[in-house]
Amino acid sequence: MKISGIKYLANQGIENIWKNKMMAFATFCVLLISLLLVGCSVLFYINMNSMILGLGNQNEVAVYIEADTPQERVDEIGEQLKTMENISTVTYISKKEAYERMQNQILQGKEIFEYIDDYQFMPDGFSITVADNEKLRDTVDAITRIEDVQSADSSPQVAEFLRELRRVVTLIAGAAIIALAAVSMIMISNTTKASVFARREEIQIMKYVGATNTFIRTPFFVEGLVTGFFSGAGAYFITWAIYRSVYDILMAQGMLMNAFGAGSIVPFADIRLYCGLAYLLVGSLVGAFGSVVSTRKHLDV
Amino acid sequence: MVELQNVSVTYSGGVDALNNVSLKINDGDFAFVVGSSGAGKSTMIKLLLKEIDATSGNVIVNGYNLSKLKKRKIPEFRRTLGFVFQDFRLIPSMTVYENIAFVLRVLDAPLKYIRKRVPYVISLVGLHAKTNSYPDELSGGEKQRVAIARALVNDPQLIIADEPTGNIDPELSYEIVELLKGINDQGTTILMVTHEHDLVRHFGGRIINITNGEIVYDEIVTGTNSEILPEVELAQAMENAARPRHEYAMPVDTAEENTPYVDDVIAAIQGTVTQKGGADK
Repeated sequence: MKISGIKYLANQGIENIWKNKMMAFATFCVLLISLLLVGCSVLFYINMNSMILGLGNQNEVAVYIEADTPQERVDEIGEQLKTMENISTVTYISKKEAYERMQNQILQGKEIFEYIDDYQFMPDGFSITVADNEKLRDTVDAITRIEDVQSADSSPQVAEFLRELRRVVTLIAGAAIIALAAVSMIMISNTTKASVFARREEIQIMKYVGATNTFIRTPFFVEGLVTGFFSGAGAYFITWAIYRSVYDILMAQGMLMNAFGAGSIVPFADIRLYCGLAYLLVGSLVGAFGSVVSTRKHLDV
Repeated sequence: MVELQNVSVTYSGGVDALNNVSLKINDGDFAFVVGSSGAGKSTMIKLLLKEIDATSGNVIVNGYNLSKLKKRKIPEFRRTLGFVFQDFRLIPSMTVYENIAFVLRVLDAPLKYIRKRVPYVISLVGLHAKTNSYPDELSGGEKQRVAIARALVNDPQLIIADEPTGNIDPELSYEIVELLKGINDQGTTILMVTHEHDLVRHFGGRIINITNGEIVYDEIVTGTNSEILPEVELAQAMENAARPRHEYAMPVDTAEENTPYVDDVIAAIQGTVTQKGGADK
């Protein structure tokens, strides 16, 4: 086919949007809503996952060093911990700090401290947070194997709970996303079918004058592609507006942020590119192929 | 050229739409196909457009054996045809110009040629002033002219017109057939299906009558160019013509006892229609 022919078919596709504006608008809206439903579910899942990971990061591992270990060796252990896999932060807890922490943690019977006037009996230690809570047990085991480390305490129940929570959230969100995607496909399919059905005679006439299936489908492809692209763009801007509002509201909740960690809610700037590309790509492809597939039934003339 | 060789069509419900039909229409012919509703005319048109396949027999159109034609070759075959339908079948979202130019676009014709050819065929059908109008803005007669221009634009060997006058005023019907006759004079084969006996009588030419899926009459008659024979009389002649043909299929001794169909036709239309002899069958 000549370039002028391809240009003609592409122009036909764009002109058809205007000529069939009501159906094109219906397709645009259905695609937009579908993309928003699925897109927002995915973003919700990403943030839930990030928040659970954030909770996990609050799960500290207390590392105790053997008594009478020289300060140089303690510092060496500190450096060694920093180079270990899956360790996110290492904070040195001196004997004095440990003593103060203990005083704060004991709510009843504080009188006992009146009889203790020295903190030298406390061990040196480190407070560690891990990057991946799922690997907590392995990390704790590795720390315990370090020479001069007396013990490493963690709360495996918390890690276990978070792992379970993450699994449940993944399952529920995954099912919701699949269900929404399926519903969206049905909605899109019905709308494109209705749009093509309204023009079935047009397709039949084209067949009678000897148009090939590709010739007939190309304008429908372009039409679906352009409509889908704009639906994707629309969905992106709506998501951006909603996301920013929700993000600002959550960030204002100090308590919540303390619990989950300030960075556990993903800022929109971090996902802007992926979000935009995904919306535009999925919107365009679903629009284009939805439209082309719907013509199939009417091409058999 | 159109050739049907012992063609039968049986629909899935068991209905025999065409029954062992043989027919040959030579290049440059103008043939009317007449018959009552359900006679098999539409089935024949569908066959010729390769919309359906024959249950048995061969259908040859413009050198393509449709019984053996692969699906991917159908567009190529259809480009050798022009078609005109009763309901015009114009694309509503396209102007007159675009509807006609579309056929050339399908052929991937150069833009220069399209710009020259389309206005020419529009002027041939006398619709120059309506070039940029949409089908909704045209009368029935004008729509059919556009359909004819569209059928004509790719200079086809054969134009199939299925009841082209069915949706337009009677006086305009004559104009439409005149137009088709003019196209035929240039060498294009025309196959026109119609119910309107007045038109057939007026213009004459080859008349093929299909009844109950069989060709019961196939003759060339001279047109009256006037309305001498009342419609009912011609219809009666056609019906009478149909009857003996069935009887021809009977054993010779039985058929001989019945009136031969040629005599019956001549008697019915004596003085008005001159029989010119049988066409190729």
